[in-house]
Amino acid sequence: MDGTIRRPGTAKPAGEGSDEELMVAFSRGSQDAFGELFLRYKQPLFGFFRRRVSDVAQAEELTQESFIAVIRAASRYQPRALFRTYLYAIGLKILGAHRRKAAFRACFTGASDAHREPAALGNLETEYVLRQAVGKLDRLERDILLLREFEQLSYAEIGELLHLPVNTVRSRLFRARLALHNILAAPAPTSSAEQARIEERA
Amino acid sequence: MNTTAEHPVAPEEIMAFFDGELSAADAQSVAAHLDGCSACASLAAQFRGLSQSLARWSVAPVSQRLENAVNDFAAKASAKSKSSRPSAPFRFSIWSWKLWAFGGTGVVAGALLLLGIEVSNSNRPDRVAKQRPMAMMVSQNRGEETAGYAPPESLKSRMNNSLSAPSRMATRAPGGGGAPMNAGVGGIAGIVGNSSDSPAAPMIARTASLSITVKDLTTARVSLDAMLARHHGYSAQLSVESAANAPRILTASLRIPASDLFNAISDLKTLGRVEKESQSGEDVSQQHADLAERLKTARATEERFRGILQQRTGNISDVLEVEESIARVRGEIESMEAEQTTLEHRVDFATIDLQLSEEYKEEIASTSAAFSLRFHNAFVAGYRNAAGTVVGIFLFLVEYGLSILIWLAIILFPAIFILRRYRKARSKM
Repeated sequence: MDGTIRRPGTAKPAGEGSDEELMVAFSRGSQDAFGELFLRYKQPLFGFFRRRVSDVAQAEELTQESFIAVIRAASRYQPRALFRTYLYAIGLKILGAHRRKAAFRACFTGASDAHREPAALGNLETEYVLRQAVGKLDRLERDILLLREFEQLSYAEIGELLHLPVNTVRSRLFRARLALHNILAAPAPTSSAEQARIEERA
Repeated sequence: MNTTAEHPVAPEEIMAFFDGELSAADAQSVAAHLDGCSACASLAAQFRGLSQSLARWSVAPVSQRLENAVNDFAAKASAKSKSSRPSAPFRFSIWSWKLWAFGGTGVVAGALLLLGIEVSNSNRPDRVAKQRPMAMMVSQNRGEETAGYAPPESLKSRMNNSLSAPSRMATRAPGGGGAPMNAGVGGIAGIVGNSSDSPAAPMIARTASLSITVKDLTTARVSLDAMLARHHGYSAQLSVESAANAPRILTASLRIPASDLFNAISDLKTLGRVEKESQSGEDVSQQHADLAERLKTARATEERFRGILQQRTGNISDVLEVEESIARVRGEIESMEAEQTTLEHRVDFATIDLQLSEEYKEEIASTSAAFSLRFHNAFVAGYRNAAGTVVGIFLFLVEYGLSILIWLAIILFPAIFILRRYRKARSKM
């Protein structure tokens, strides 16, 4: 009874054209290898940022920045871990830097992504509800949940990325899932204005 | 919520089973339990439903602009890497030995450089001892060369020829003193003419300063005394400082005949390693000439007063007044003569300010003081330091405390405000 939902971006099996082999080939100058890697991970990485950043343009920018970082660091790449762990580690670092800058700007401007977080940017009510619900979670639990649910990382990979023991990852993921379930089960307290905007977009 | 008391499988294990994180054996036992336990099966269904709900959170496809930008950058980077290096595998293989080769070469070069510097330093006293006089002369400026050093033979003949000309003829100081004005001209000083209106050679009072590090100060001191005797000089001042746990230092002011100055300096340099050297010369010709003229005038005045006194035709008060004038002029003459003698002595004898420092070797000295005494002293010193620190802090607070509080009030509240806003903004991201 395996409930795992397969999504794009899950690691290819080592052997024929695994992510790690492609990255090594790219580090040796193979442009095609990077093309294949980009094809595999462009959507997952964009989704990684898109679910964490409200602005589409910013998500695209961060995605581009991550791939550029991979390209620049290709000569130093050592296949010591899965490529996707390596890629998401870069993504997390870039996301952290983006959050710090945004929070710093918010200190003075008072505006932040959270305030500009509208369902209106998505075209589905589901996206709005899920984004709002996930946004209510504790930040660490939210990161763990998103890495597990959307990036399909194992507990060990999540622990490696967030520098946490596997048991901590498991317990925090459990709490996050329960909390999210309770939030989604509760009646949605959307304001009339927000509801109107959702309907208008829909 | 399931509990382990009621169910053999913990809820987190069900979640781990759902995520495929259990071992095969554990997964088998959890699956068997889920088949028979409706509560746990319900929890698993809850997890599954949650994942399915989240799966509906779809994201729009990546824009073409992003794809083009990244692919362009990758193509440029790939082209650049290919042009800069033949191939990546070769680069990797080269890296290991190249790193070691460059690193090893650098280390060897650095070691050789240090060795060269060390050897050069260790040979320095010998080199100095072997230096020829001409080498030192070259380093001097032209005016000082002719004034203070013994020139080589090639130059001596030229200088003698030039000195034979009336215009360059050295003379005695006009009007007295009797000392040769060109005594400072080493090796070629002398009276070569008596014409009072011939221009004199410059009178240079020379001084030199040497700082030398010697291996053994006692031996150096003996050599110094011998050197002074050899060059007919003397020590105007000499002191030896010998502090505990510090090198011994000899400081002396030597007076050497100007004609022997260079030879004396050369001899001194053989004592050890020269750390610092400087030389200078002061032209006192004008000063000496002025003094001689004033002396000449004063003597003439004295002669006139004496003539008046011999002819004395006035009353007694006039006689007394003339005698007082004679006494005053005589005093001035003697003072000027003394000054002239000192000036000529400065020219005749050059001054060498010498400092000899002994190479110091740190030794594990056994302190004679008992441990209890040292402990007591250390405790007292520590107490004084601690008391001084406390008093210092107190005085600092008294002096600046109010200002600090005002600045804190100015800075702290905005800082706290900004920090709170920052944390709030980050928590919302």
